[in-house]
Amino acid sequence: MDVTRREFLKTSAAAATATAAGITLPAAALAKSKEAEAGVQWDKGVCRFCGTGCGIMVGTRDGRIVATKGDPDAPVNKGLNCIKGYFNGKIIYGKDRLTQPLMRMTDGKFDKQGKFQAVSWERAFDEMEKQFRKTYREMGPHGVAIFGSGQYTIPEGYVSAKLMKAGFRSNNIDPNARHCMASAVVGFIQTFGIDEPAGNYDDIEHTDTVVTWGANMAECHPILWARVSDRRLTDDNVKLVNLTTISNQTSDIADMEIIFKPGTDLAIQNYILREIVKNDAVNHDFVNKHCVFATGPYDIGYGMRPTDKYCYEAEKDIQVKELRVTLDKDEAIAQRKKAGEVVEQKNTKVPVKHWMIGYEDFKKGVEPYTLDFVAQLSKGDPDEDLEAYKKKLQELAKLYMNKNRKVVSFWTMGFNQHYRGSWVNEQNYAIHLLLGKQCMPGNGAFSLTGQPSACGTAREVGTFAHRLPADLVVFNPKHRAFSENLWKLPPNTLNPKVGSHITKIMRDLEDGNVKWAWVQVNNPFQATANANHWLKAARKADNFLVVSDPYPTVSAKVADLILPTAMIFEKWGLYGNAERRTQAWRQQVAPPGEAMGDVWQGLEFSKRFKLKDVWGEQQVPGLQAEGFEDGKLPSVLADAQKMGYSPDDTLYDVLFATKDNRKVKWPDKSVAKGHDNHIAEKLGDGWFPEKALFNEYRQFGVGHAHDLAAFDVYYGDDVRGLKWPVVDGKETQWRFNEQYDSYCAKGSGFDFYGKALKALPSGDLDKVTNAEKTSLASKAKIFFRPYAAPPEQPDKNYDLWFSTGRVLEHWHTGTMTRRVPELHRAVPTAVLFMNPADAEARGIKRNDIAWIESRRGKVKALVETQGRNRPTKGYTFAAFFDEGVFVNKVCLDVTCPMSKEEDFKKAAIKVYKA
Amino acid sequence: MNISGILVVVSPQRVESMVDQLSGLDGIDVHHIDAATGRIVITQEAATIRDEVDGLKRIQALPGIILAEMSYHNFEDDSELLQGIPADLDDTDKVPAYLKE
Repeated sequence: MDVTRREFLKTSAAAATATAAGITLPAAALAKSKEAEAGVQWDKGVCRFCGTGCGIMVGTRDGRIVATKGDPDAPVNKGLNCIKGYFNGKIIYGKDRLTQPLMRMTDGKFDKQGKFQAVSWERAFDEMEKQFRKTYREMGPHGVAIFGSGQYTIPEGYVSAKLMKAGFRSNNIDPNARHCMASAVVGFIQTFGIDEPAGNYDDIEHTDTVVTWGANMAECHPILWARVSDRRLTDDNVKLVNLTTISNQTSDIADMEIIFKPGTDLAIQNYILREIVKNDAVNHDFVNKHCVFATGPYDIGYGMRPTDKYCYEAEKDIQVKELRVTLDKDEAIAQRKKAGEVVEQKNTKVPVKHWMIGYEDFKKGVEPYTLDFVAQLSKGDPDEDLEAYKKKLQELAKLYMNKNRKVVSFWTMGFNQHYRGSWVNEQNYAIHLLLGKQCMPGNGAFSLTGQPSACGTAREVGTFAHRLPADLVVFNPKHRAFSENLWKLPPNTLNPKVGSHITKIMRDLEDGNVKWAWVQVNNPFQATANANHWLKAARKADNFLVVSDPYPTVSAKVADLILPTAMIFEKWGLYGNAERRTQAWRQQVAPPGEAMGDVWQGLEFSKRFKLKDVWGEQQVPGLQAEGFEDGKLPSVLADAQKMGYSPDDTLYDVLFATKDNRKVKWPDKSVAKGHDNHIAEKLGDGWFPEKALFNEYRQFGVGHAHDLAAFDVYYGDDVRGLKWPVVDGKETQWRFNEQYDSYCAKGSGFDFYGKALKALPSGDLDKVTNAEKTSLASKAKIFFRPYAAPPEQPDKNYDLWFSTGRVLEHWHTGTMTRRVPELHRAVPTAVLFMNPADAEARGIKRNDIAWIESRRGKVKALVETQGRNRPTKGYTFAAFFDEGVFVNKVCLDVTCPMSKEEDFKKAAIKVYKA
Repeated sequence: MNISGILVVVSPQRVESMVDQLSGLDGIDVHHIDAATGRIVITQEAATIRDEVDGLKRIQALPGIILAEMSYHNFEDDSELLQGIPADLDDTDKVPAYLKE
């Protein structure tokens, strides 16, 4: 690049940055910067990476992305980007981008043991269809599955969910978001009866107290952390508290860091609740008007298999806890029982059941959580003075209780990936509700999101095994009927049996209950705990695995067929972030080679099936539901014919390219503004699938407190996403607060209008005493949940705690970020962070290679005893982006029994020099 | 070659000394200063993404920094990037080495 051009670009970069910072520049400087960008076409986009949902501007010239910038008009990031934001423009240009379908073949035929060879799309779909039909014939809807994603665009998730649920009549679709958000969802549904946060990111500027629980925001949500830091450093009254098991970068500017022992967050929450009660800091007016108290069973297991049939020998002592648990001395105090008592886990099948209790019962429940008890139980750093630690807990409780303070609590994976993840979510709401510090500017418990559309797609579209769009669920007959009506399906087409969650799909592949699976927009064979089992399952002779991905991943490597897939700005899409903001972008550049978007892949596959192939009578093992007494899905072909369908109609025509949807035409000049749509063009039948399907989908939520605006609205030049519910063109800032939310009843002040689980029996702390259900419409629930010990803890053999998560520079399994060669070199391999004393005790020096070994597997890693994560004695951490340090071979596939989300944060390991 | 625009925020009384420090760093040019709000706009020129990332971290680590984040990124003739794209898709092996192992 010549010097003049370089100087030119710098002027331009400086001008863009100044604009983002609100600095007014002289006209001459702006003119010069415009000149430098001649020929670059800018369009708004959304960051591909975390759940923050930063707005970015994408600059293209001659069919290539040449620049990106933080969108100064985006309220989320106000023109800034974190390091990952930069890679939006680069990730699509990796060297090993897949550009043609690849199939395992020998002598021109599919062969499970064959080598990958390039094939045409036609050939790829032929084999995919053949294998699908074989399994579907043999096993019915439950023999097939889709591994979905929190990184699906909204139309992508909608196509996959509708194809599976309405077309194939299977609920075996579940996203990787299960691993990231499911506990948060259960917390929302249980507490509020409706999913997703009440507040929004502006809470940061409105509050004066920020408490992070199990969220390393500095590394994992850097732009939100920049807003928090800005707030902290410009106002001395603002206090930050970081609760964590490992000292991390978020502690760097915190006023107080509380290092606690894994799993004892539950005890700390109950200590705070007890303090609120003891000091009568309860906002009685708020609680009396808007809340009830509730609890549920404790004997709910840990989400493991009920049998040790598939266990390695070493796994059996942990697996047995799924059946019975011997209470330790702390659990005994916490649960008002006797130490050593053996508790049969009787409620593993109904972990979410709960009932109302009185305030007196609630007080009795939190009574054991005294400062002395909780401090000795929860103190995580063996070298920290107990009295000093107690002072911190007291200070934390005081910050929450202080009537002159607003408080926001943030959390992510430390809570969600937890063997009692749903409980810790509920307990943060309990604290905020009891104080009346919820759903108002600067006050609220706020669940942050890990993936760009875990909210917008996985949750709102409902790409889970139990969900339909807009918080509807498959096991509710009214919800099914509503969906069948909207989708123009015959009655009883939809399957009432909840499908397999993502970990269970893996287990199903292992034990032969699923034999055909399609991986979309994720890398589950690297990202699922206890991976050795699943890698082997993928290669079982009976199983056929399809992986759609832009790059070769671990999942692709164990696949039978790989479909080359278009990436973010090579297609049209919409994402929904953690503050309910739906944002949209257009296709900016064409995908390389024969790579195609996921929407096209789903639609193309749907063309291969006729109604008569899938809407006849279907066996469903274990199906029990009203109207399905014979345990089968009935044939709906006769009813379909009455509705005007022919048994020879394809799923493409009946579910997607419907008469109404075909009216939504491509090209669409007013929205496209010169941008292409490779999917509409390849389909070539004149409709605009993303727009038609989005507008169909939004009908689920309109009028049901999930209102999304129409497709075109999100593409408006002045729109930078809108926070749903969007009512009369207006977004909603704080839900459940009458001042901001039009769904609240007039005069209510606050109205927790969510409809789910809003009639309950009542009882005491241990049991239901009155089975008659009482309505608690418009109210939120304050739960009591006791401390329970982690099922796997360090012992003599495996003597260290191990936790995994992300680092700043890399995203998830590194499929995209590791393609950027220099970035890969910056953190060449995931390192094992450990305390210098622990390393020394094992004869290990910094940068030595060591084995990390658990009951389930072992991997080698470089040991790091300094740097950004600083574990105290007994704790270790390694990120999971690097398949070379395949940490999920070590991790434990325990899940929260309610949410089925895996606990990636608490495995016991040993470390020794390699 | 990467060129980035970076926003640096410091307390207003530190602007002058921070500008001096930033000016002394390799690859950094100071372009605009808003003394009243403590905002400084700089550009960073870096040969590789690693230099880019490390360069930003080195700024974030300076004492007195309230915020330093990127805002703009240009990689219009980034050679690393261009190498990433096979010159002629039809001539390349469709099966990456990784999948042949």
